[in-house]
Amino acid sequence: MSFFIASKRLGKIGDPYTPKDGINIDALLAGGFIVRAEVSTTEEEKPAKTKPKKASKE
Amino acid sequence: MPTSTYLSSPVVTVNAVDLSDQCTGATVNINYDQLEATAFGDTSRKYVSGLGSHSVTLDFYASFAATETWATLKGLVGTSTNVIVKPTSAADSATNPGLTFTGTFLAALPIVNSLGALGTISVTFNGGVYTSDES
Repeated sequence: MSFFIASKRLGKIGDPYTPKDGINIDALLAGGFIVRAEVSTTEEEKPAKTKPKKASKE
Repeated sequence: MPTSTYLSSPVVTVNAVDLSDQCTGATVNINYDQLEATAFGDTSRKYVSGLGSHSVTLDFYASFAATETWATLKGLVGTSTNVIVKPTSAADSATNPGLTFTGTFLAALPIVNSLGALGTISVTFNGGVYTSDES
């Protein structure tokens, strides 16, 4: 689980936050001081495969 | 005659949150149980150090704005956290020690409101491991 700083009271906003031993993470999250790093669970859409059309025989 | 200016601009962090600009007082008590070690033949009482029993009392203005005093402390009642008190914002050193209490317990969150005065919160953290960070 990784976090980002969301308040200048904790450090530079946007920087990753690594808690030291003894830090109450739940309190920091509830107080809005840090946010969880979003992890995408959806697979990115692949571009549609398109075959080049063959020239029609006449 | 004092040889150094003490706590003129201290830094106070609670649960890693810098609350210095809301803090008006910090009382640090570093205590160890005093255990009797006197034995027959001794002519004076002797003592050895027992368990550490430290406490930190911090006085804050009661700010309920986002990421201020209330937001920092409300989630800590009934839990343990880390508290650091430093004489100045300079780097840790022998003359600017970071008095660190790791795993110190907050039992109560009393809020004082009086007519014509700013609200205050005075909290006392008890126990935990004390270290003096000097580098």
